[in-house]
Amino acid sequence: MSTVTCEVAVIGAGIIGTATAHYLSARGVDVVVIDRSYMGSGSTGRCIGGLRHQFSTPPSIRLMKESIRLFSEMEEEFGHSVEFSQGGYLLLAHSDEMAATFRANIRVQRAEGINVSLLDPKEAHDLVPQLNTEGLVAGAWCPDDGQAFPFAVLKGYRKRTENAGGRFILHNPVVNFRRNANFELFLGDGSIVEAPRVLLAAGPWTRELAKPLGIDLPLAPERHEAMITERMPRFLKPMLVDYRPDGCYFQQMLTGQVIGCYTPVPAVPGIREDVSFEFLPQVAWRMSRLVPALRNAAILRHWAGCYTMTPDGNPVLDRTPLDGLFVASGMCGHGFMFGPAMGHHMADFILDGEWGMDFSEFALDRDFSPGAETLK
Amino acid sequence: MNERVVICRCEDITEEEVLDAIRDGAISMEELKRVLRVGMGPCQGRTCGSLIRALLARELGVPVHSIKEWSRRPPLKPVPAGAFFQGEES
Ligand SMILES: Cc1cc2nc3c(=O)[nH]c(=O)nc-3n(C[C@H](O)[C@H](O)[C@H](O)COP(=O)(O)OP(=O)(O)OC[C@H]3O[C@@H](n4cnc5c(N)ncnc54)[C@H](O)[C@@H]3O)c2cc1C
Ligand code: FES
Repeated sequence: MSTVTCEVAVIGAGIIGTATAHYLSARGVDVVVIDRSYMGSGSTGRCIGGLRHQFSTPPSIRLMKESIRLFSEMEEEFGHSVEFSQGGYLLLAHSDEMAATFRANIRVQRAEGINVSLLDPKEAHDLVPQLNTEGLVAGAWCPDDGQAFPFAVLKGYRKRTENAGGRFILHNPVVNFRRNANFELFLGDGSIVEAPRVLLAAGPWTRELAKPLGIDLPLAPERHEAMITERMPRFLKPMLVDYRPDGCYFQQMLTGQVIGCYTPVPAVPGIREDVSFEFLPQVAWRMSRLVPALRNAAILRHWAGCYTMTPDGNPVLDRTPLDGLFVASGMCGHGFMFGPAMGHHMADFILDGEWGMDFSEFALDRDFSPGAETLK
Repeated sequence: MNERVVICRCEDITEEEVLDAIRDGAISMEELKRVLRVGMGPCQGRTCGSLIRALLARELGVPVHSIKEWSRRPPLKPVPAGAFFQGEES
Protein backbone atom coordinates (compact mmCIF):
# COMPACT_ATOMS: atom_id res chain seq x y z
CA MET A 1 0.00 0.00 0.00
CA SER A 2 1.52 3.31 -1.06
CA THR A 3 1.55 6.50 0.97
CA VAL A 4 1.90 9.95 -0.57
CA THR A 5 2.88 12.81 1.70
CA CYS A 6 2.41 16.49 0.97
CA GLU A 7 1.98 19.82 2.76
CA VAL A 8 -1.61 20.47 1.70
CA ALA A 9 -4.10 17.91 0.37
CA VAL A 10 -7.06 19.33 -1.57
CA ILE A 11 -10.15 17.14 -1.91
CA GLY A 12 -12.05 17.98 -5.08
CA ALA A 13 -10.82 18.97 -8.53
CA GLY A 14 -13.56 21.45 -9.36
CA ILE A 15 -12.89 25.13 -9.84
CA ILE A 16 -12.35 25.81 -6.12
CA GLY A 17 -9.92 22.94 -5.52
CA THR A 18 -7.85 23.48 -8.67
CA ALA A 19 -7.66 27.27 -8.28
CA THR A 20 -6.57 26.96 -4.65
CA ALA A 21 -4.01 24.30 -5.58
CA HIS A 22 -2.61 26.59 -8.24
CA TYR A 23 -2.12 29.47 -5.81
CA LEU A 24 -0.67 27.16 -3.15
CA SER A 25 1.84 25.68 -5.58
CA ALA A 26 2.72 29.15 -6.85
CA ARG A 27 3.88 29.90 -3.30
CA GLY A 28 6.10 26.84 -3.33
CA VAL A 29 3.79 24.55 -1.36
CA ASP A 30 3.79 20.82 -2.09
CA VAL A 31 0.12 20.20 -2.92
CA VAL A 32 -1.85 17.10 -3.93
CA VAL A 33 -5.35 17.38 -5.46
CA ILE A 34 -7.58 14.34 -5.21
CA ASP A 35 -10.77 13.70 -7.15
CA ARG A 36 -12.93 10.64 -7.30
CA SER A 37 -13.52 11.14 -11.00
CA TYR A 38 -12.18 13.49 -13.66
CA MET A 39 -11.57 17.22 -13.19
CA GLY A 40 -14.84 19.11 -13.50
CA SER A 41 -16.99 15.99 -13.12
CA GLY A 42 -18.90 17.65 -10.25
CA SER A 43 -20.70 20.97 -10.50
CA THR A 44 -17.98 22.82 -12.38
CA GLY A 45 -18.31 20.86 -15.62
CA ARG A 46 -22.10 21.25 -15.51
CA CYS A 47 -22.27 25.00 -15.09
CA ILE A 48 -23.04 27.47 -17.85
CA GLY A 49 -19.91 29.56 -17.42
CA GLY A 50 -21.35 32.98 -16.57
CA LEU A 51 -19.26 35.65 -14.80
CA ARG A 52 -20.74 38.80 -13.29
CA HIS A 53 -19.80 41.76 -11.09
CA GLN A 54 -23.42 42.37 -10.19
CA PHE A 55 -23.71 41.26 -6.57
CA SER A 56 -25.19 43.14 -3.64
CA THR A 57 -22.44 43.38 -1.01
CA PRO A 58 -18.95 44.93 -1.28
CA PRO A 59 -17.00 41.74 -0.40
CA SER A 60 -18.70 39.74 -3.17
CA ILE A 61 -18.34 42.60 -5.65
CA ARG A 62 -14.62 43.00 -4.83
CA LEU A 63 -14.02 39.29 -5.19
CA MET A 64 -15.75 39.30 -8.57
CA LYS A 65 -13.69 42.27 -9.72
CA GLU A 66 -10.58 40.30 -8.91
CA SER A 67 -11.93 37.08 -10.45
CA ILE A 68 -12.90 38.67 -13.74
CA ARG A 69 -9.47 40.29 -13.97
CA LEU A 70 -7.93 36.84 -13.35
CA PHE A 71 -10.15 35.26 -16.04
CA SER A 72 -9.01 37.97 -18.46
CA GLU A 73 -5.35 37.08 -17.82
CA MET A 74 -5.74 33.31 -18.18
CA GLU A 75 -5.12 32.97 -21.88
CA GLU A 76 -1.72 34.53 -21.46
CA GLU A 77 -0.96 32.69 -18.25
CA PHE A 78 -2.08 29.24 -19.44
CA GLY A 79 -1.02 29.47 -23.06
CA HIS A 80 -4.48 28.43 -24.28
CA SER A 81 -7.82 30.15 -24.67
CA VAL A 82 -10.40 29.78 -21.90
CA GLU A 83 -13.05 31.26 -24.21
CA PHE A 84 -13.29 34.32 -22.01
CA SER A 85 -15.41 37.14 -23.36
CA GLN A 86 -17.21 40.13 -21.93
CA GLY A 87 -20.64 40.35 -23.51
CA GLY A 88 -22.20 41.76 -20.35
CA TYR A 89 -25.08 40.65 -18.12
CA LEU A 90 -28.51 42.20 -18.48
CA LEU A 91 -30.62 41.50 -15.39
CA LEU A 92 -34.35 41.98 -15.92
CA ALA A 93 -36.92 43.19 -13.37
CA HIS A 94 -40.61 42.67 -14.10
CA SER A 95 -41.78 44.14 -10.78
CA ASP A 96 -41.25 47.42 -8.95
CA GLU A 97 -39.75 45.55 -5.98
CA MET A 98 -37.09 43.91 -8.13
CA ALA A 99 -36.35 47.21 -9.85
CA ALA A 100 -35.87 48.80 -6.41
CA THR A 101 -33.46 45.98 -5.50
CA PHE A 102 -31.52 46.67 -8.73
CA ARG A 103 -31.38 50.38 -7.88
CA ALA A 104 -30.06 49.74 -4.37
CA ASN A 105 -27.47 47.27 -5.68
CA ILE A 106 -26.32 49.60 -8.43
CA ARG A 107 -25.49 52.24 -5.81
CA VAL A 108 -23.30 49.74 -3.96
CA GLN A 109 -21.73 48.43 -7.18
CA ARG A 110 -20.95 51.90 -8.49
CA ALA A 111 -19.32 52.83 -5.20
CA GLU A 112 -17.05 49.82 -5.86
CA GLY A 113 -16.18 51.19 -9.27
CA ILE A 114 -18.33 48.82 -11.34
CA ASN A 115 -19.62 50.12 -14.65
CA VAL A 116 -23.31 49.30 -14.23
CA SER A 117 -26.47 51.18 -15.09
CA LEU A 118 -30.22 50.95 -14.79
CA LEU A 119 -31.98 50.71 -18.15
CA ASP A 120 -35.60 51.47 -18.93
CA PRO A 121 -37.41 48.98 -21.20
CA LYS A 122 -36.64 50.99 -24.33
CA GLU A 123 -32.93 51.11 -23.54
CA ALA A 124 -32.97 47.38 -22.80
CA HIS A 125 -34.62 46.81 -26.18
CA ASP A 126 -32.04 48.97 -27.94
CA LEU A 127 -29.32 46.87 -26.35
CA VAL A 128 -30.96 43.52 -27.22
CA PRO A 129 -33.33 44.12 -30.16
CA GLN A 130 -34.63 40.52 -29.93
CA LEU A 131 -35.89 41.11 -26.39
CA ASN A 132 -39.62 41.01 -25.71
CA THR A 133 -40.05 43.86 -23.21
CA GLU A 134 -43.66 43.13 -22.30
CA GLY A 135 -44.08 43.61 -18.56
CA LEU A 136 -40.49 44.74 -18.17
CA VAL A 137 -39.93 47.43 -15.54
CA ALA A 138 -36.17 47.88 -15.63
CA GLY A 139 -32.88 46.26 -16.54
CA ALA A 140 -29.50 46.30 -14.77
CA TRP A 141 -26.69 46.32 -17.28
CA CYS A 142 -22.98 45.71 -16.79
CA PRO A 143 -20.99 45.41 -20.03
CA ASP A 144 -17.94 44.01 -18.21
CA ASP A 145 -19.64 40.78 -17.11
CA GLY A 146 -19.05 37.76 -19.30
CA GLN A 147 -18.34 34.07 -19.72
CA ALA A 148 -15.60 31.43 -19.88
CA PHE A 149 -15.34 27.68 -20.60
CA PRO A 150 -14.94 25.70 -17.35
CA PHE A 151 -12.89 22.77 -18.66
CA ALA A 152 -10.34 25.09 -20.27
CA VAL A 153 -9.93 26.90 -16.95
CA LEU A 154 -9.45 23.64 -15.01
CA LYS A 155 -6.93 22.42 -17.55
CA GLY A 156 -4.92 25.62 -17.15
CA TYR A 157 -4.89 25.41 -13.35
CA ARG A 158 -3.78 21.81 -13.51
CA LYS A 159 -0.98 22.58 -15.92
CA ARG A 160 0.27 25.48 -13.78
CA THR A 161 0.03 23.44 -10.58
CA GLU A 162 1.89 20.48 -12.07
CA ASN A 163 4.57 22.76 -13.50
CA ALA A 164 5.14 24.06 -9.99
CA GLY A 165 5.51 20.52 -8.64
CA GLY A 166 1.92 19.85 -7.52
CA ARG A 167 0.27 16.48 -8.13
CA PHE A 168 -3.22 15.33 -9.18
CA ILE A 169 -4.68 11.99 -8.17
CA LEU A 170 -7.81 11.50 -10.28
CA HIS A 171 -10.39 8.71 -10.53
CA ASN A 172 -9.69 7.81 -6.92
CA PRO A 173 -12.13 8.83 -4.15
CA VAL A 174 -11.29 9.72 -0.57
CA VAL A 175 -13.28 7.03 1.20
CA ASN A 176 -12.32 7.79 4.75
CA PHE A 177 -10.08 10.03 6.75
CA ARG A 178 -8.53 10.23 10.12
CA ARG A 179 -6.57 12.70 12.16
CA ASN A 180 -3.39 11.52 13.88
CA ALA A 181 -0.29 13.68 13.92
CA ASN A 182 -1.28 14.44 10.34
CA PHE A 183 -4.44 13.86 8.37
CA GLU A 184 -4.55 10.47 6.70
CA LEU A 185 -6.80 10.27 3.67
CA PHE A 186 -7.69 6.74 2.61
CA LEU A 187 -8.31 6.47 -1.13
CA GLY A 188 -10.43 4.01 -3.08
CA ASP A 189 -7.44 2.09 -4.45
CA GLY A 190 -6.06 1.47 -0.94
CA SER A 191 -3.40 4.16 -1.04
CA ILE A 192 -3.04 6.88 1.60
CA VAL A 193 -2.38 10.60 1.33
CA GLU A 194 -0.85 12.16 4.42
CA ALA A 195 -0.82 15.90 5.03
CA PRO A 196 -0.81 18.31 7.97
CA ARG A 197 -3.40 20.48 6.21
CA VAL A 198 -6.47 19.52 4.19
CA LEU A 199 -8.90 21.62 2.18
CA LEU A 200 -12.41 20.27 1.67
CA ALA A 201 -13.43 21.55 -1.76
CA ALA A 202 -15.74 18.70 -2.66
CA GLY A 203 -18.67 20.90 -3.74
CA PRO A 204 -22.01 19.25 -2.93
CA TRP A 205 -20.25 16.27 -1.31
CA THR A 206 -18.41 18.40 1.26
CA ARG A 207 -20.96 18.02 4.03
CA GLU A 208 -20.93 14.22 3.85
CA LEU A 209 -17.16 14.20 3.78
CA ALA A 210 -16.87 16.27 6.98
CA LYS A 211 -19.50 14.37 8.96
CA PRO A 212 -17.31 11.45 10.11
CA LEU A 213 -15.00 14.04 11.66
CA GLY A 214 -17.84 15.36 13.78
CA ILE A 215 -18.20 18.55 11.76
CA ASP A 216 -21.64 19.49 10.47
CA LEU A 217 -21.47 22.11 7.74
CA PRO A 218 -24.58 24.14 6.79
CA LEU A 219 -24.55 22.99 3.15
CA ALA A 220 -27.62 21.92 1.20
CA PRO A 221 -27.16 20.71 -2.39
CA GLU A 222 -30.02 21.29 -4.85
CA ARG A 223 -30.51 20.05 -8.36
CA HIS A 224 -30.22 22.55 -11.21
CA GLU A 225 -30.89 21.56 -14.80
CA ALA A 226 -29.50 23.15 -17.94
CA MET A 227 -29.82 22.84 -21.71
CA ILE A 228 -27.87 23.75 -24.82
CA THR A 229 -28.98 24.46 -28.37
CA GLU A 230 -27.29 23.93 -31.70
CA ARG A 231 -24.85 26.51 -32.87
CA MET A 232 -26.45 29.58 -34.37
CA PRO A 233 -24.97 32.72 -35.88
CA ARG A 234 -24.10 35.07 -33.03
CA PHE A 235 -27.09 37.29 -32.29
CA LEU A 236 -27.13 37.62 -28.50
CA LYS A 237 -24.25 39.24 -26.69
CA PRO A 238 -25.20 39.50 -23.01
CA MET A 239 -26.35 36.89 -20.57
CA LEU A 240 -30.03 37.56 -19.88
CA VAL A 241 -31.32 36.91 -16.37
CA ASP A 242 -35.09 37.01 -15.96
CA TYR A 243 -35.81 37.35 -12.22
CA ARG A 244 -39.51 36.44 -12.40
CA PRO A 245 -40.41 33.36 -10.30
CA ASP A 246 -40.91 31.58 -13.61
CA GLY A 247 -37.89 33.26 -15.21
CA CYS A 248 -34.69 31.78 -16.58
CA TYR A 249 -31.17 32.78 -17.56
CA PHE A 250 -29.24 32.10 -20.71
CA GLN A 251 -26.50 33.34 -22.99
CA GLN A 252 -25.01 32.57 -26.34
CA MET A 253 -21.55 31.07 -26.19
CA LEU A 254 -18.73 32.38 -28.36
CA THR A 255 -19.13 29.17 -30.34
CA GLY A 256 -22.79 30.00 -31.10
CA GLN A 257 -24.76 27.65 -28.84
CA VAL A 258 -27.34 29.12 -26.47
CA ILE A 259 -26.88 27.65 -23.00
CA GLY A 260 -29.40 28.21 -20.24
CA CYS A 261 -31.19 27.17 -17.07
CA TYR A 262 -33.85 28.19 -14.60
CA THR A 263 -34.14 27.96 -10.84
CA PRO A 264 -36.93 25.52 -9.96
CA VAL A 265 -39.58 26.61 -7.46
CA PRO A 266 -39.77 24.85 -5.08
CA ALA A 267 -36.14 23.76 -4.95
CA VAL A 268 -35.24 20.12 -5.64
CA PRO A 269 -33.02 19.10 -2.71
CA GLY A 270 -30.30 16.47 -2.78
CA ILE A 271 -27.25 15.53 -4.80
CA ARG A 272 -28.93 14.61 -8.05
CA GLU A 273 -27.78 14.40 -11.61
CA ASP A 274 -30.96 12.92 -13.09
CA VAL A 275 -33.13 15.14 -15.30
CA SER A 276 -36.85 15.94 -15.13
CA PHE A 277 -39.53 15.76 -17.80
CA GLU A 278 -40.82 19.24 -17.16
CA PHE A 279 -37.53 21.04 -17.64
CA LEU A 280 -37.31 21.16 -21.44
CA PRO A 281 -40.88 22.36 -22.11
CA GLN A 282 -40.50 24.91 -19.32
CA VAL A 283 -37.13 26.28 -20.32
CA ALA A 284 -38.12 26.39 -23.99
CA TRP A 285 -41.25 28.37 -23.14
CA ARG A 286 -39.50 30.72 -20.71
CA MET A 287 -36.64 31.52 -23.08
CA SER A 288 -38.92 32.00 -26.07
CA ARG A 289 -41.16 34.30 -24.04
CA LEU A 290 -38.18 36.57 -23.47
CA VAL A 291 -36.53 36.19 -26.88
CA PRO A 292 -39.21 34.95 -29.31
CA ALA A 293 -36.61 34.15 -32.00
CA LEU A 294 -35.46 31.27 -29.80
CA ARG A 295 -38.60 29.32 -30.71
CA ASN A 296 -36.71 28.07 -33.71
CA ALA A 297 -33.53 27.18 -31.86
CA ALA A 298 -32.91 23.43 -31.86
CA ILE A 299 -32.28 22.09 -28.37
CA LEU A 300 -29.50 19.52 -28.41
CA ARG A 301 -28.95 18.34 -24.87
CA HIS A 302 -30.16 18.61 -21.31
CA TRP A 303 -28.36 17.72 -18.09
CA ALA A 304 -28.36 18.41 -14.38
CA GLY A 305 -25.87 19.34 -11.68
CA CYS A 306 -25.86 20.83 -8.21
CA TYR A 307 -25.97 24.20 -6.60
CA THR A 308 -24.58 23.82 -3.08
CA MET A 309 -26.70 26.23 -1.03
CA THR A 310 -26.23 27.78 2.41
CA PRO A 311 -29.02 29.32 4.52
CA ASP A 312 -28.00 32.93 3.68
CA GLY A 313 -26.94 32.48 0.06
CA ASN A 314 -23.24 33.10 0.70
CA PRO A 315 -20.37 30.59 0.41
CA VAL A 316 -18.46 29.09 3.33
CA LEU A 317 -14.69 29.62 3.29
CA ASP A 318 -12.95 29.15 6.60
CA ARG A 319 -10.95 26.95 8.91
CA THR A 320 -12.96 24.34 10.78
CA PRO A 321 -12.86 23.58 14.51
CA LEU A 322 -10.41 20.80 13.61
CA ASP A 323 -6.91 22.29 13.43
CA GLY A 324 -5.49 22.06 9.91
CA LEU A 325 -8.84 21.32 8.25
CA PHE A 326 -10.25 24.01 5.93
CA VAL A 327 -13.46 24.24 3.96
CA ALA A 328 -14.44 26.05 0.75
CA SER A 329 -17.92 25.12 -0.44
CA GLY A 330 -21.52 26.34 -0.46
CA MET A 331 -20.99 28.38 -3.61
CA CYS A 332 -24.77 28.86 -4.06
CA GLY A 333 -24.58 28.67 -7.84
CA HIS A 334 -21.71 31.15 -8.27
CA GLY A 335 -18.65 29.03 -7.66
CA PHE A 336 -17.27 29.11 -11.16
CA MET A 337 -17.10 32.90 -11.28
CA PHE A 338 -15.87 33.26 -7.68
CA GLY A 339 -13.37 30.41 -8.10
CA PRO A 340 -10.21 32.21 -9.25
CA ALA A 341 -10.33 34.94 -6.58
CA MET A 342 -11.49 32.57 -3.87
CA GLY A 343 -8.74 30.11 -4.74
CA HIS A 344 -6.21 32.90 -4.44
CA HIS A 345 -7.46 34.09 -1.03
CA MET A 346 -8.05 30.57 0.27
CA ALA A 347 -4.43 29.62 -0.51
CA ASP A 348 -3.16 32.68 1.36
CA PHE A 349 -5.46 31.95 4.29
CA ILE A 350 -4.26 28.34 4.55
CA LEU A 351 -0.65 29.53 4.60
CA ASP A 352 -0.86 32.81 6.53
CA GLY A 353 -3.82 32.18 8.83
CA GLU A 354 -5.50 35.44 7.93
CA TRP A 355 -7.59 36.82 5.08
CA GLY A 356 -6.19 39.43 2.72
CA MET A 357 -9.61 41.12 2.60
CA ASP A 358 -12.93 41.10 4.47
CA PHE A 359 -14.14 37.47 4.41
CA SER A 360 -16.46 37.73 7.41
CA GLU A 361 -19.56 37.12 5.30
CA PHE A 362 -18.12 33.71 4.36
CA ALA A 363 -17.14 32.73 7.93
CA LEU A 364 -18.33 29.44 9.36
CA ASP A 365 -19.43 31.02 12.65
CA ARG A 366 -21.48 33.82 11.08
CA ASP A 367 -25.18 34.41 11.54
CA PHE A 368 -26.71 32.43 8.67
CA SER A 369 -30.10 34.22 8.68
CA PRO A 370 -31.33 34.51 5.10
CA GLY A 371 -31.21 37.70 3.09
CA ALA A 372 -27.65 38.88 2.53
CA GLU A 373 -27.36 38.29 -1.21
CA THR A 374 -30.34 39.64 -3.16
CA LEU A 375 -29.12 38.71 -6.65
CA LYS A 376 -29.44 34.94 -6.56
CA MET B 1 4.67 16.96 -41.41
CA ASN B 2 1.61 16.68 -39.24
CA GLU B 3 -1.68 16.43 -41.05
CA ARG B 4 -4.68 17.78 -39.17
CA VAL B 5 -6.98 14.78 -38.82
CA VAL B 6 -10.48 15.83 -37.78
CA ILE B 7 -12.20 13.10 -35.80
CA CYS B 8 -15.39 14.96 -34.80
CA ARG B 9 -16.59 17.00 -37.75
CA CYS B 10 -19.50 18.70 -36.05
CA GLU B 11 -17.28 20.18 -33.36
CA ASP B 12 -14.09 20.34 -35.43
CA ILE B 13 -11.95 18.36 -32.98
CA THR B 14 -8.82 16.58 -34.20
CA GLU B 15 -7.52 13.13 -33.41
CA GLU B 16 -4.50 14.82 -31.81
CA GLU B 17 -6.71 16.71 -29.36
CA VAL B 18 -8.41 13.46 -28.36
CA LEU B 19 -5.01 11.77 -27.91
CA ASP B 20 -3.86 14.71 -25.78
CA ALA B 21 -6.84 14.36 -23.49
CA ILE B 22 -6.19 10.62 -23.14
CA ARG B 23 -2.56 11.36 -22.27
CA ASP B 24 -3.86 13.82 -19.66
CA GLY B 25 -5.62 10.89 -18.02
CA ALA B 26 -9.05 10.62 -19.66
CA ILE B 27 -10.36 7.07 -19.31
CA SER B 28 -13.98 7.34 -20.45
CA MET B 29 -16.07 8.48 -23.40
CA GLU B 30 -18.09 10.66 -21.06
CA GLU B 31 -15.01 12.56 -19.95
CA LEU B 32 -13.77 13.08 -23.53
CA LYS B 33 -17.15 14.41 -24.50
CA ARG B 34 -17.42 16.87 -21.64
CA VAL B 35 -13.86 18.12 -21.82
CA LEU B 36 -13.47 18.34 -25.61
CA ARG B 37 -17.11 18.62 -26.68
CA VAL B 38 -16.63 15.75 -29.13
CA GLY B 39 -19.96 14.09 -29.83
CA MET B 40 -21.84 17.23 -28.88
CA GLY B 41 -22.64 18.38 -32.39
CA PRO B 42 -25.92 18.12 -34.28
CA CYS B 43 -25.24 14.46 -35.16
CA GLN B 44 -24.95 13.75 -31.41
CA GLY B 45 -21.87 11.64 -31.93
CA ARG B 46 -23.39 9.24 -34.44
CA THR B 47 -20.56 10.01 -36.82
CA CYS B 48 -17.60 10.22 -34.47
CA GLY B 49 -18.64 8.00 -31.56
CA SER B 50 -17.31 4.69 -32.83
CA LEU B 51 -14.07 6.25 -34.11
CA ILE B 52 -13.35 7.86 -30.77
CA ARG B 53 -14.31 4.73 -28.88
CA ALA B 54 -11.86 2.69 -30.94
CA LEU B 55 -9.13 5.27 -30.40
CA LEU B 56 -9.68 5.29 -26.64
CA ALA B 57 -9.65 1.47 -26.50
CA ARG B 58 -6.41 1.34 -28.50
CA GLU B 59 -4.70 3.92 -26.30
CA LEU B 60 -5.82 2.28 -23.06
CA GLY B 61 -4.99 -1.17 -24.43
CA VAL B 62 -8.43 -2.60 -23.70
CA PRO B 63 -11.09 -4.24 -25.92
CA VAL B 64 -13.51 -1.79 -27.56
CA HIS B 65 -16.60 -3.41 -26.03
CA SER B 66 -15.26 -2.74 -22.53
CA ILE B 67 -15.59 1.00 -23.17
CA LYS B 68 -18.97 2.40 -22.29
CA GLU B 69 -20.61 4.29 -25.17
CA TRP B 70 -22.06 7.76 -24.79
CA SER B 71 -25.30 7.81 -22.91
CA ARG B 72 -28.18 9.16 -24.95
CA ARG B 73 -29.64 12.16 -23.20
CA PRO B 74 -32.97 13.60 -24.16
CA PRO B 75 -33.82 15.01 -26.66
CA LEU B 76 -32.45 12.30 -28.94
CA LYS B 77 -32.62 14.53 -31.99
CA PRO B 78 -32.38 18.32 -31.96
CA VAL B 79 -35.90 19.69 -31.38
CA PRO B 80 -36.89 23.32 -31.98
CA ALA B 81 -37.69 25.01 -28.68
CA GLY B 82 -41.14 25.99 -29.94
CA ALA B 83 -42.14 22.36 -30.45
CA PHE B 84 -42.03 21.77 -26.69
CA PHE B 85 -44.88 24.09 -25.88
CA GLN B 86 -46.96 24.35 -29.05
CA GLY B 87 -50.60 25.06 -28.34
CA GLU B 88 -49.92 25.47 -24.62
CA GLU B 89 -49.15 29.16 -24.47
CA SER B 90 -50.49 30.87 -21.42
C1 LIG C 1 -26.78 24.07 -14.23
C2 LIG C 1 -25.77 24.89 -13.49
C3 LIG C 1 -25.40 26.17 -13.94
C4 LIG C 1 -24.45 26.95 -13.27
N1 LIG C 1 -24.08 28.15 -13.79
C5 LIG C 1 -23.10 28.87 -13.19
C6 LIG C 1 -22.62 30.07 -13.77
O1 LIG C 1 -23.09 30.49 -14.82
N2 LIG C 1 -21.63 30.74 -13.13
C7 LIG C 1 -21.09 30.29 -11.95
O2 LIG C 1 -20.20 30.94 -11.42
N3 LIG C 1 -21.52 29.14 -11.39
C8 LIG C 1 -22.51 28.41 -11.98
N4 LIG C 1 -22.93 27.24 -11.42
C9 LIG C 1 -22.39 26.85 -10.10
C10 LIG C 1 -21.02 26.24 -10.21
O3 LIG C 1 -21.06 25.15 -11.11
C11 LIG C 1 -20.55 25.74 -8.84
O4 LIG C 1 -20.76 26.73 -7.85
C12 LIG C 1 -19.06 25.42 -8.85
O5 LIG C 1 -18.75 24.61 -9.95
C13 LIG C 1 -18.65 24.75 -7.57
O6 LIG C 1 -17.32 24.32 -7.69
P1 LIG C 1 -16.63 23.45 -6.59
O7 LIG C 1 -15.20 23.35 -6.96
O8 LIG C 1 -16.99 23.99 -5.26
O9 LIG C 1 -17.37 22.03 -6.64
P2 LIG C 1 -17.41 20.86 -7.74
O10 LIG C 1 -17.15 21.36 -9.11
O11 LIG C 1 -18.66 20.12 -7.50
O12 LIG C 1 -16.15 19.98 -7.37
C14 LIG C 1 -16.14 19.07 -6.30
C15 LIG C 1 -15.31 17.88 -6.71
O13 LIG C 1 -15.12 17.04 -5.57
C16 LIG C 1 -15.05 15.72 -6.00
N5 LIG C 1 -15.33 14.83 -4.88
C17 LIG C 1 -16.50 14.70 -4.20
N6 LIG C 1 -16.39 13.79 -3.23
C18 LIG C 1 -15.11 13.32 -3.29
C19 LIG C 1 -14.40 12.33 -2.57
N7 LIG C 1 -14.96 11.66 -1.56
N8 LIG C 1 -13.11 12.09 -2.91
C20 LIG C 1 -12.52 12.77 -3.93
N9 LIG C 1 -13.16 13.70 -4.65
C21 LIG C 1 -14.45 13.97 -4.34
C22 LIG C 1 -16.09 15.64 -7.09
O14 LIG C 1 -15.83 14.55 -7.98
C23 LIG C 1 -15.96 17.01 -7.77
O15 LIG C 1 -15.15 16.97 -8.92
C24 LIG C 1 -23.87 26.44 -12.08
C25 LIG C 1 -24.21 25.16 -11.62
C26 LIG C 1 -25.15 24.39 -12.30
C27 LIG C 1 -25.48 23.02 -11.80
S1 FES D 1 -19.16 14.28 -35.67
FE1 FES D 1 -18.90 14.40 -33.56
S2 FES D 1 -20.83 15.16 -32.93
FE2 FES D 1 -21.10 14.96 -35.03
